Amino acid sequence: MMGTGNGSRPPTKAGCRTEPADGNALIPTGIEELRVRVQQLSLREQIERNHFLLMRLNAANARLIQSLEQGDVFEAIAEIIANLLGSEEIAVFDYHPAEKTFSLAWSSGVEADALQPFLCGAGMFGRAVEQGISQFQERQQDGALLPYEKNLTACVILKSSREIVGVIAIFDLLPQKNNLEWADYELLKFLETYGAVAMKFQRLQGRQVST
Amino acid sequence: MPTKKILLVDDSCTARLVNRMIFSQKSNYVLISAVDGKEAVERAKREKPDLILMDIVMPRMTGLEACRVLKKDKETEKIPVILLTTRGEEQYVQEGYASGCSDYLTKPVNDTELLDLLKAYLGE
Repeated sequence: MMGTGNGSRPPTKAGCRTEPADGNALIPTGIEELRVRVQQLSLREQIERNHFLLMRLNAANARLIQSLEQGDVFEAIAEIIANLLGSEEIAVFDYHPAEKTFSLAWSSGVEADALQPFLCGAGMFGRAVEQGISQFQERQQDGALLPYEKNLTACVILKSSREIVGVIAIFDLLPQKNNLEWADYELLKFLETYGAVAMKFQRLQGRQVST
Repeated sequence: MPTKKILLVDDSCTARLVNRMIFSQKSNYVLISAVDGKEAVERAKREKPDLILMDIVMPRMTGLEACRVLKKDKETEKIPVILLTTRGEEQYVQEGYASGCSDYLTKPVNDTELLDLLKAYLGE
């Protein structure tokens, strides 16, 4: 419960002065208590932020696990991004490292024609694969985007055991969402690895069925 | 005081999971769920929840259609319906209110905002 302090400190009278441990200055008790309270609130906020993040990651993870049974990994990725991050315009590309080529694996909310230029692997999209690092529009330098990448918010590299298996292209965010927030970056980091694992699982399952 | 019951309606499993976690960890509300508008109407009649939290875009029956049906029915007309959707544009919000909903929240949902709103309708 907030506001109860640590319970071990005896009550102090208003206006009392205490000498801090370093002995450099006299600080009124009220100010000292206020400082402790601010510090406590900040620590509590850190823990609550972490709780919020874990809750989202937990839900995303549960959905990915479910997708392994249902064979709908792409739909699961799209659902996670729509509900937790806030975009309904998503494309997932397969990456073929031997030929260094891409193919469109799945998309939702984006016209197929608009995705064609991405297959050449240039621009921010290409840089993501080349560097093996997810790229975000708001972290790009001016002029670093190709004309057809204007609506591209993020290119998330799907990487499993250092092997790039694909890229998630996230286009426009929902109108009520202005930009990616700290928890979104964490969620995308989670998808980089576990989205890739789920995709690999689905591919293997596909091979099993076809043999 | 008896525990309040909320009917959560969403075809997205992720949305149901997140909301279930928010409710189980941060509130005492009892949560029941449905995956589309049709099931929501059936469950609402049967279980009489204290509040309905419903997505709009769903198969079989949308949240807007379900809201209209619930508001026309004497048994369910008084149950507050909060629409929860990715569509935050003015036109969609107006359409939501026209269907008879009490409130409108956009995804991605902020847990504090959601719980504060529920508290306003259901009390602590």
